[in-house]
Amino acid sequence: MTSRSSVAFLAPLAAAWTLSAPAPAAPLGVVAVQAGRIHLVESDEVIEGGGTILIEDGRILAVGKNLALPPGTRVVDYGADAVIVPGLVSPDSTYGLSRPSERTADPSLMAIDNFDPYNSFVGALAEGVTSVYLPPARGRLIAGQGAVVKLAGKAGQEDRRVLSASATIHGAVSAEARNTPGYWRPPVPATVDVGLGTEKAQLPRSLMGALVALRELLALAQGGPDQGEYGPETGPVLRELMSARKPWRLAATDAMEIRAVLDFFRENGLPLVIDGADGAGPLATEIARAGASVIVDAPFIPNTPGRNFGKERDAQWPEFDTAAALERAKVKFAIAPANQASAADLRFAARVASRGGLSRGAALRAITLSPAEILGVAGRVGSLKVGKDADLAVFNGHPLEPTSSVLATWIDGEVVFKAYERSAVVLEIDELHVGDGSIVSPGEILMQDGRIVEVGRKVGHPLGCTVMRGSAAMPGMIDALGHLGLEGSNKIPATRFELKRLVEPGDFADRRVAQAGVTTVVLSPRGTSRSGAPMMAYKPAGTDVSKMVIDDPVGLRFQWADKNRLESGQAMREVLAKAIEYDKKWDEYEKKLATWTPPKAGDEAEAGAAAKEDETADKKNGEGEKHGVEADKKEGGDKKDGADDKKKDDDTDKKKSKKKGEKEPAKPVTGAWETKITVPPFGESRLRFYLLEVNGEITGSLRCAGLSDGLVEVSGSRQEHTVTLAGDGSRGRIEVHAEEVEGKLEGDITMGVTKVEFKAEQTSTEYEIAGRIEQRKPKPEKKKEIKGEPKAPTIDPDLEPLRRAMKGEAAVLIGVDRADEIVDCVDAFEEAHIQPVLYGADEAWKVVEKIRGRIAGVLLSQRVTATEPKTGARKRNRYAELASAGILVAFHSAAEEGAVELPLMAAYAVAQGLSPEVALRALTGDAADMLAIDDRVGFLAPGMDADVLLLDGSPFEASTSVTRVFVSGEEVR
Amino acid sequence: MIFHDKPELARRAIWCALVFLSPLMTAGAIAGDKSAIKVGRIITQNGPDILNGVIVIEGGKVQSLGADVKIPWDAEVIDHPELVAFPGFVESHTSRGMDRPNENIEVVPFLDVRDSIDPVNVYFEDALRQGITTINVQHGSSTVIGGQGMIVRPFGITIEQMLVRTNSGLKICAAPRTGRSRATQAQALRRAFTDLRQYLEKLVQDKKDGKDYARREALYQGRDLEKEENKKGRAMESSATWKVAGLESIPRGEIDEKQEPLLRLVEGKIPAFVYCDSGAAVHLALELARANGFLASTTLVLDGDAWKAVDVIAEAGVPVVLGSTLMHVERDPVTGDEIETFVPGVFKKKNVRFALQSLNPTTQSLWYQAALCVGYGLDRKDALDAVTRVPADILRLGKRVGSLEVGKDGNVVLFSGDPLSVQSSVQYVVLEGKLVYDRSKDVRARHLLEGVEQENTAPAGVDAQADVHDDEHGEQKDPNDKPKVDRGEKSDKKESGEKKP
Repeated sequence: MTSRSSVAFLAPLAAAWTLSAPAPAAPLGVVAVQAGRIHLVESDEVIEGGGTILIEDGRILAVGKNLALPPGTRVVDYGADAVIVPGLVSPDSTYGLSRPSERTADPSLMAIDNFDPYNSFVGALAEGVTSVYLPPARGRLIAGQGAVVKLAGKAGQEDRRVLSASATIHGAVSAEARNTPGYWRPPVPATVDVGLGTEKAQLPRSLMGALVALRELLALAQGGPDQGEYGPETGPVLRELMSARKPWRLAATDAMEIRAVLDFFRENGLPLVIDGADGAGPLATEIARAGASVIVDAPFIPNTPGRNFGKERDAQWPEFDTAAALERAKVKFAIAPANQASAADLRFAARVASRGGLSRGAALRAITLSPAEILGVAGRVGSLKVGKDADLAVFNGHPLEPTSSVLATWIDGEVVFKAYERSAVVLEIDELHVGDGSIVSPGEILMQDGRIVEVGRKVGHPLGCTVMRGSAAMPGMIDALGHLGLEGSNKIPATRFELKRLVEPGDFADRRVAQAGVTTVVLSPRGTSRSGAPMMAYKPAGTDVSKMVIDDPVGLRFQWADKNRLESGQAMREVLAKAIEYDKKWDEYEKKLATWTPPKAGDEAEAGAAAKEDETADKKNGEGEKHGVEADKKEGGDKKDGADDKKKDDDTDKKKSKKKGEKEPAKPVTGAWETKITVPPFGESRLRFYLLEVNGEITGSLRCAGLSDGLVEVSGSRQEHTVTLAGDGSRGRIEVHAEEVEGKLEGDITMGVTKVEFKAEQTSTEYEIAGRIEQRKPKPEKKKEIKGEPKAPTIDPDLEPLRRAMKGEAAVLIGVDRADEIVDCVDAFEEAHIQPVLYGADEAWKVVEKIRGRIAGVLLSQRVTATEPKTGARKRNRYAELASAGILVAFHSAAEEGAVELPLMAAYAVAQGLSPEVALRALTGDAADMLAIDDRVGFLAPGMDADVLLLDGSPFEASTSVTRVFVSGEEVR
Repeated sequence: MIFHDKPELARRAIWCALVFLSPLMTAGAIAGDKSAIKVGRIITQNGPDILNGVIVIEGGKVQSLGADVKIPWDAEVIDHPELVAFPGFVESHTSRGMDRPNENIEVVPFLDVRDSIDPVNVYFEDALRQGITTINVQHGSSTVIGGQGMIVRPFGITIEQMLVRTNSGLKICAAPRTGRSRATQAQALRRAFTDLRQYLEKLVQDKKDGKDYARREALYQGRDLEKEENKKGRAMESSATWKVAGLESIPRGEIDEKQEPLLRLVEGKIPAFVYCDSGAAVHLALELARANGFLASTTLVLDGDAWKAVDVIAEAGVPVVLGSTLMHVERDPVTGDEIETFVPGVFKKKNVRFALQSLNPTTQSLWYQAALCVGYGLDRKDALDAVTRVPADILRLGKRVGSLEVGKDGNVVLFSGDPLSVQSSVQYVVLEGKLVYDRSKDVRARHLLEGVEQENTAPAGVDAQADVHDDEHGEQKDPNDKPKVDRGEKSDKKESGEKKP
């Protein structure tokens, strides 16, 4: 999908933005974010029916309905179906979780140090989570200080992302804290008198121990004696934190643990947040009385195997209604994803923890404002309130609705995530007309990448999909025969003329027709010719030619009647006869091809060997040559490798020299040659040539230690038997003059004053040096003819559509009116195995019995009613007559932009007694069916093009109008 | 120059040993005090190149250089008009050349890499072969506060011979070492400085209370308290956010050896090399440096995506050493597109001084990294500076190395062509006036690159007879010819008879 189209895909939502984005008044100006519904969460307020949030400098300036926008405001409108809530605040996360300290209490361990502001947290942002709590570690009585950060922000403003560097004193009294190992530090240096020492056991091992340790720590913090058990830093740091009234966030799971910490903290008057709190439900009133708040862990971890909870009677199995119980007791609580679950699953956690009657509003508060308040960051995040940070999550439905997902996430007034690319559109419709006569009510359609993916009562909602609601929807209408695009031309083009050359995307009239709901037009020139007029099915509102054209040609249009009625049908019959002949040829070919087996690989090799044999015979006996070449061509012809080409080349070379009357034809010197020479002052050394000859030009290399240290690139030419080569070696220029005599290369090599004679033997005829291929001239690729392969008949573009029509892949329209002619015509077509579409067909109603089942359909003229011929008074509905007789009918405009009147024609036909169901089918599915384009358009079914009309009422209420039109998934506007 | 004050005999012995131990290290071609290098082009890294110039080195320092400099009659001359002279690369941070780079204990500012450097480590040989003449060896990066580094020249068989300067800097690691997370690493780092502060406060308190634990401990450890620098105390002079009042009452010799280097760091007396693997680590490093007063002497050694914190680095004004790949590649988590970032370009744009680091001793040495930078679009000048002048400045050796200027060290690398070309190779290296590397005698390189002297492994097509070595320019036709390093007068005679003094 192109970027342009993906923008258009979201067009209904981002329209205002797209329009205003190119010219923002001021880069740091005010931004207005709009949506149909805004949950402020602050005092549970909800703005319905369109609200606006004004943002300036990353903060909320105003929230409300019908706000006056300051001049130069950049408007981002997410549409009437979008819902905005405050950016979600996850009261727990797994981000940057560190290893627990060696100490049982280590309050100086800062979770904020684990936070890398340059990391991408797009997974959580894509779920609308904008702020998270970072635990310092798990599994210690006091693991350290927790922090709250934002998951994105402006570069260079990393500090702004830290909401609280020290939000809580984080720890646990539950089972997780009871495995603290003994503390031991090696002394440096460990000498004889110092010794390595032993480890000191650390509390707690039980709930009792945990409370003892807490008591000791509290005493330490209040200036009690330091026994050295908790480390020298612990006391002072804890004192500092407590004097700042930081809340203690302690994990306590079952009722006993919760009770114990409640008592302890009430006694000491310290702020407490109970974390985890599986068993908090029954204790809700006690917790409320103690004034503690609770973070409820959702009792489910997505993306993992099922957990075993224990088979004992008192095992703690998950409680799903803790949150509801706390809500009833008016305890302040937040909902968090389970311990090891990702913060991205916060919304799902809220849904899981909502059992037992927690309202959506309360659940939403438990993942926005409540966690912000509990963690002490409500001054900046958690709700939509003037002065708070502009952190928003935009959803396509209520965030706690199962099918809703995030459209965009904002932090500090900037978009940090948007679900643009490849996103899908879901239409939620009260009355969905599928196109085959059936109605799904209510129904939903999922469209993606220009196609319909799913249709049904409930369809999947991919993440980030745009959701639109409407009262009715139907497939785009089809003008079964129109002239839109001809621009008034009366010319009759050749049968093989490609009509797609006429269309051009973006035509104004085309788009208007599409906006009226006619998304497909079967275009044909006015008038026909003897060999048929071409027809093309296209979409007037397609964004490029390939998307516009459904099928070209989709079929041919003929006329049965002749001026001379006696000759009526004669031309058609001739064409059909030709078509039958043509089809027969192709059928025969296809049959042959199906039975033909290509020669096996072994045969090929044999053929190659034979060719080689022939070649050697050639060399010995010049007269056998011609025959040899032919044999080579025939038998070696099916070889596909380049060697074959080369061999042929060699042959041609041979042929050339032969014709000049040489007795012993000079051969190309391509290949490797080798000998030994002595170059003073060096001893004997090997001399090797690697040569490639193409049309007398030789390139290649020579190697000889006596002449040069490395490979010498040489080039030269061959005149008959004389070979001259030259190249630059490491010790100077080397020149070679040689004669090719009886497969040997004889001559001398000159380098400066040195001249050496040599006689080299050919060791190979292959030029096997890699990377030299580019020096060969590229040969035009010939299509290899394989022996015995059936030869395909030539394609006749005039007859091809008819052949396709025989297979039911194309349509043939035939203009015919009189009853006798209709019967003749249908007979003639039956011989050719074609079911034609009758066009005009005034008297078809008289012969319905004879033509039923033998034609694809009928295109009646626009005149819906006719009077009874005999009585002259009773009106008949021509469309209804045929339809009730089981013959498909469709509507056509026979006009250009007049196609927009198609729905009115249908509505009128309904008003005159045609069944609305048939009328709708005639406009959509039946038209597609008879014109053989039912694989792309005409129905709302998976795999079909997403051409959908949204209506504001029932399709055949004359008062109903088309409100939205999608063509290939893109809205036409 | 350790050699100069040793008797001739001893010198010979050392040379012999050298030749024996490492065939690469060419000995004794130039034995006198004066030497001259005459080449086709001198890249001075300080102004325009000099064509057909001469560098005269005396007493290890560049005496004069230029196109019309006269060669002293008694100088030994390296005369290669086809070669290019270059100041030699400076490696500003490496943990190679040691028996092992990391200590198990986390806070070890009292360690010194000089106890770990292995002079015959093949790394130094490779460095010389790649034209690196100055190397800062630092403790490895898996630590909290590592030991002190040392600047060496890659030549010599004892650590004293290699020594350029001790105490070149303290290694600090802002990235989590193995077994630690970011938070525990940060905690350990902060704790190290808190410990120092608490230790010093206790020291002062004890002194006030009339207790002499520290003195007794110092005597027990065998420290010389009568030495002048140890005798007196000094008030704490640091830009740290904390101070220990009354430190002047403590004779410096009484301060524990284990804490003393950290105190010197806080007082800005030794530089810090802080390793950062991510943007978060950069934030931590700068926070620590600011809080403890060593920001001005800090160099960040960057790895991974630490470059993303370029804004805060620029604001802090510290130089960086770029360690990992020059082109950072990551995937956009939403679109899946690959995003490539040319890291040196990012720093260049923000005017942060940066030095490059070898990725490995052989194939991705400094010249290659610089050449790669040029390939990626960095100015040639900036790329060359990043491997010479900038690292020299970082090592506070700007007055000695990094460029060829009168008065600077006579470190010259002779390339067969442009130093950044893949086709050039280091032919000779002169360290403080001494020829220490001669490619024609670099047996190992010959074995590796040319595969000579091993008939079986000779590449196909090379005959045994062709086994005649010459250099790449093919001008030495006689295999028995000596390398072209002669006594000055000889060479003069060759060039022009009249020049005889």
